[in-house]
Amino acid sequence: MAGQLSMAAAIVGAAEANEIGFLEEPVTALQLHIEAIRNLSIQTGVPIAKIEGVFSTGWSSELCEHLGIKPKYIDTTAVGGCSFEMHVHHAMAAIHAGIIDIALVSHGENGHSARKIGGGGAGNYGRGGGVASPAQEMTMAYGLGSAPSNYAHAMVRHMHRFGTTTEDFAHIAKVTRDWATLNPRAAMYSKKKHPFGGPITVEQVETSRLIAWPLTILHCCMVADHGGAVLVASPKVAAGLNTKPVWIAGAGESMGHSNMLEMDDFTATSAGISSTAAYTMAGLGPDDMEMAQLYDSFTITAAITAEMLGLAPRGEGHLLWKNGHAAPGGRLPINTNGGGLSFNHSGMYGMPLLIEAYRQLSGTAEDGINGDKGKQTSARTCVVNGTGGSLSTTATLVLVADD
Amino acid sequence: MSYPFPIPTPGTHTRPFWEGAKLGKLMLPRCQDCNRVHWYPRFLCPVCHSNNLEWVQASGEGRIHTYAVQHLAFGPWAKEAPFVTAYIDLNEGDRMLTVLRGVDPNKPQDIKIGARVRVEFEAANDDMHIPFWRVVED
Ligand SMILES: [Zn+2]
Repeated sequence: MAGQLSMAAAIVGAAEANEIGFLEEPVTALQLHIEAIRNLSIQTGVPIAKIEGVFSTGWSSELCEHLGIKPKYIDTTAVGGCSFEMHVHHAMAAIHAGIIDIALVSHGENGHSARKIGGGGAGNYGRGGGVASPAQEMTMAYGLGSAPSNYAHAMVRHMHRFGTTTEDFAHIAKVTRDWATLNPRAAMYSKKKHPFGGPITVEQVETSRLIAWPLTILHCCMVADHGGAVLVASPKVAAGLNTKPVWIAGAGESMGHSNMLEMDDFTATSAGISSTAAYTMAGLGPDDMEMAQLYDSFTITAAITAEMLGLAPRGEGHLLWKNGHAAPGGRLPINTNGGGLSFNHSGMYGMPLLIEAYRQLSGTAEDGINGDKGKQTSARTCVVNGTGGSLSTTATLVLVADD
Repeated sequence: MSYPFPIPTPGTHTRPFWEGAKLGKLMLPRCQDCNRVHWYPRFLCPVCHSNNLEWVQASGEGRIHTYAVQHLAFGPWAKEAPFVTAYIDLNEGDRMLTVLRGVDPNKPQDIKIGARVRVEFEAANDDMHIPFWRVVED
C-alpha cells in the first residue's frame, strides 16, 4: 500500500510570520500562525479561502474560525516537534484519498513572548495562562461555562425560528430513555441500577430541574465514566478475522466555529457539510439509512443533527422521536444504546457511538458486553455523527453491514 | 464593592476596544478593503483576509439574536444565577455575547428575540470597562 502514496502530493510553498526571533513587542502564538498563513497565501497565490484541510498541533479549529475557513479535513496531531512532518504525511494521505486538494500545515509558538504574556490562544494546549484568544477575551466576562450554558441558546433560536417547543424536544429524552431500558449496560437502565433510572415521561423531562433555560437536567447528557476502543483494518486483514466487518462506506468532517460567538446559524451545524461528504463517498443518501447513532449531548443536539443529516426536514428533527420513528420498533432506530442522555456520556461521547453502531451492524448487540446483552435491531446501514465543542465540529460516518 | 466577575486581559491587538470602552464608546474592527465589521477582533479580516483593518465607533445598538437563562453558573457568577445571557446582533453587523440587562430571568418567555438593546459599560477597574447590553423600548 505504501507505494500508492508515493508522489501523491507536493509541498508548494513555505512562509514565516512577519517577524521572528526575540521580539521586543510580545506577540501571541495565534498571531504568529496567522501572519505566516497570510504570507504563505501571498507567496503561493492560493487564497486563504481555498484551503480545504488544516493541520496543526491542536490549533486547527481556532485557525479555521479566525480565518473563516470551513474545512473538509482537520488534523490536530500534537506529539512534539515531529508533528509537522506527520501533518505532511497525513495531508498527503488525505489528498491521495481525494478528500482534499489543498492542505495547510501551520505553526505558531511564542516561546520568547510567552514569558511576558503567556501563550495566547485557545489552541495553545499545554502552555496556558496569560493573554486569551481574542474570542475568549471577548466572551469570558459573561458567566458562560458549562456546555448547557451554551447549547441553551441554540434551543431558544430553534424554538423562535421553527415554532418548536420544549415539549417537542422532551420527546427525544423520553424515547432515548426507552432505549436505555432495553440495554442493561445503560447507566439509566432501571431504578435498581440508578435512583433516577428506568422509564421517564415527557412531563418529567419538562418539570425536572432547570440547568440553563430552556434545558432542564433531563434534556442534558450525564457525566459518567466510559472507556472503549474499536479496531479498523484493511479488507485483507478483515477477511482473515472471525469477527464480522462493518464497512466504512463514507466519511466526512468539518467545523462551523470554535467559540459559539461565531455560530452563524444557531439552528445548524457543520454536519450538513460532513454528512454530504460522507454520503457522497458512500454513494448513499439519508433515505438509505436504516439506523442512526447521533451525538446527543442535549436533546437539541440530536434534533439539529437529524436535520443536518437529512433524516428530517429543517425544523422537524424532533418529529422522528415524537412520532415514534426513532423509538424501539420504529422505522429509523436512533441511539439504540440509550444515548449520551441515558446510556453513558463521559465528556466525549464519540466512542460509544462507534461501539453501538458496530454492535448493531455486526448483529452482535445481543452477544453482550461483560455479560450484559443489548437490543438488536435489523438495520443494515447506519449513519453515525459526532459533534464536538459548542455545536462546533462534526464528523459523519456511513457504515454498512457485511453482506 | 469591587467588581466580582472575571475581567479580561487585553490581547496584543485589542487595546483600541478597551480604550474606547473607558470613554463609553463601542469600538469595532472594520476591514478597509471590504468594509465589513467583524467581531471578535481578528489579525486578518475573516471575510476577505485583508490585514488592512481599522477601528470605528459603533452605534452601540443592536437586537437580541438568541438568549438563555443560566440557572447553574460557576465561580463568581454562581450566586448571580439565574441570569440571562444573550447573543446580540450588532447594527453594524456580526454578533456579541453579553449578560443581558433590563429583563426578568424568571420570565424567559417575556424576552423577545429581535428586541432592541443598547450597550452600556461597567467599570471593573480603572483600565477595564466591560460592555453589557440592556433591552430598551422599541
Ligand atoms: Zn475584508
